Amino acid sequence: MARQRIVIDPVTRIEGHSKITLHLDEEGRVQEAYFHVTQFRGFEKFCEGRPFYEMPSLMARICGICPVSHLIASAKACDAILAVRIPEPAAKLRRILNLAQIVQSHALSFFYLSSPDLLLGMDADPATRNIFGVMQSHPELARDGVRLRQFGQQIIEWLGGKRIHPAWVVPGGVNERLSVERRDQILATIPGALAIAQRTLDWFKNTMEQFREEIRTFANFPSLFLGLVNRRGGLEHYDGNLRFLDSTGKIVADQVNPDTYADAIAEFVNPWSYLKTTYYKPLGYPDGIYRVGPLARLNLINGCGTERADQEWAEFRQLERGAVLSSFYFHYARLIEILYGIEKMEQLLNDPEILSSHVRAFARPNNREGIGVAEAPRGTLIHHYKVDEQGLVTWANLVIATGHNNSAMNRGVLQVARHFVHGHQLSEGMLNRVEAVIRAFDPCLSCSTHAAGVPALEIELRAADGTLLDQVRR
Amino acid sequence: MTPEVLIIGYGNPLRGDDGAGWRAVERLREGTRDGEFGLVAVRQLTPELAEAVSRASLVLFLDAREGGTPGKVWCERVNPRQSPPGAFSHHAGPAALLAAAAAWYGRAPAGMVLSVSGESFAFREGLSLPVEAALAELVERTRNIAGKALSRRSAPCHKIKRSE
Repeated sequence: MARQRIVIDPVTRIEGHSKITLHLDEEGRVQEAYFHVTQFRGFEKFCEGRPFYEMPSLMARICGICPVSHLIASAKACDAILAVRIPEPAAKLRRILNLAQIVQSHALSFFYLSSPDLLLGMDADPATRNIFGVMQSHPELARDGVRLRQFGQQIIEWLGGKRIHPAWVVPGGVNERLSVERRDQILATIPGALAIAQRTLDWFKNTMEQFREEIRTFANFPSLFLGLVNRRGGLEHYDGNLRFLDSTGKIVADQVNPDTYADAIAEFVNPWSYLKTTYYKPLGYPDGIYRVGPLARLNLINGCGTERADQEWAEFRQLERGAVLSSFYFHYARLIEILYGIEKMEQLLNDPEILSSHVRAFARPNNREGIGVAEAPRGTLIHHYKVDEQGLVTWANLVIATGHNNSAMNRGVLQVARHFVHGHQLSEGMLNRVEAVIRAFDPCLSCSTHAAGVPALEIELRAADGTLLDQVRR
Repeated sequence: MTPEVLIIGYGNPLRGDDGAGWRAVERLREGTRDGEFGLVAVRQLTPELAEAVSRASLVLFLDAREGGTPGKVWCERVNPRQSPPGAFSHHAGPAALLAAAAAWYGRAPAGMVLSVSGESFAFREGLSLPVEAALAELVERTRNIAGKALSRRSAPCHKIKRSE
């Protein structure tokens, strides 16, 4: 029998547009798998010539889900161009905004995009395997998801003026202090959000047992992990240095200054995707493949630094002796980070310094180059700009979380496809598992390629000579 | 507290006439007393609006639509209904939002969609001439319906038992 190809186009319930192709051998076994990102945006190129101080607002437009992450990484790169150390209250306010963003984005990923698979089953009818199905079958959980997302978005709006594309974070700090009334307003919403986060975590831990096969096969392989850590090696989303960890739990590189990221991380482009790929330079490719995001962060830290999250993290770390390798656990890690984010925001808001009026440093451009690194919901985010003597951008490079995860996602698709996809019979549940492994990473393709379209699913089965043997659309 | 009548204008003001609902809400704000109606302008209807929707007695959705003579104003009742698969992760229609209010909060208000036929949905700010001209009618009809509902104080409502 001739070699065949299955195409899943586009992949659904993720941020952006992509497709998956599975190449079968003569016996119908999956031989190769590719995750293709089919959209192109090119923000690095069209920002050239713009004044550097426009970059935070411009870069926030990369994404409607995580604009705050780009805003913060970009502002940090601009701080470096100004050569200022921003006032501590401003750094704390930026931290709160970033955590609010992480909570709302994780809530979107878990409740809206992935919970239909977890609650209704991977084999459920796709007509009901969506948030509407969850709404009917588990209204309490769906309501919790909506409330948690609302909680994060509301804080972003209260601090930044609007939920999407807030402009409050500026080079040198933030443009307005936090008022007592606003702080108290945010603090009043914390207990409700904490209760939802804890309830969801408790439910998820009791449910995981049902997904043994997925845990075993969803991008479950040794790789490195990358993320920011603070000086004590604790969980860090805003500042700190880079840490690389291997699959046995051994630290490979620690406290790497983010300004030297290019010494540690290499980037390249595959001819079949618009998404850049990265690897850890000292180990080369493919040995240097690493993962970023909530799973990586919880693997590589020494602790979270908040009470409840530390308890949950200790339990999470019991899953494996070394690093937790199955990407199915991205969901678990996401929920722990939601808990952490809420607790940490409470800590920061109760710090009297948070009300300081000293929230911005002013300077003219003093450096011709600036690098800003922060942890976005999906992983480490790097903005790197060069400017001319007038402060106009001459060059920009963005290394996005989804790009860091590209190799791992491809390897994950191959692993899950080899396990669940067999030959010529294409079943919905089988193909959904191939998509679900991508969904576990929560990729944001709008961010990582820098599109418009209607999500649908198309699967093609092609012979080696390109003949279309079978086709399914939904 | 959500006022009894909630008016939600939605659309993308950067896509020409798609911003008609958004612009109508801006006009309504100019001539509305504080707390008279709830006024919300959003780019998309999202699930997060369901709670506020469930607390209202009547929700008026202001939108642009494709088809029909540009500038024609339409007024239709809308009932709670699930969206097709794949919808609602990022945005929803009025019927889906009413269904979400019923499923999650046990109460779906009466809903109406007031829309205006658009001429151009291309990338640009501002409305086409026919839609700009129709904005006054859209605003007036919205205000009349909301005013009548408030004067009756008993707008029809779908009461639905909350499932546990």
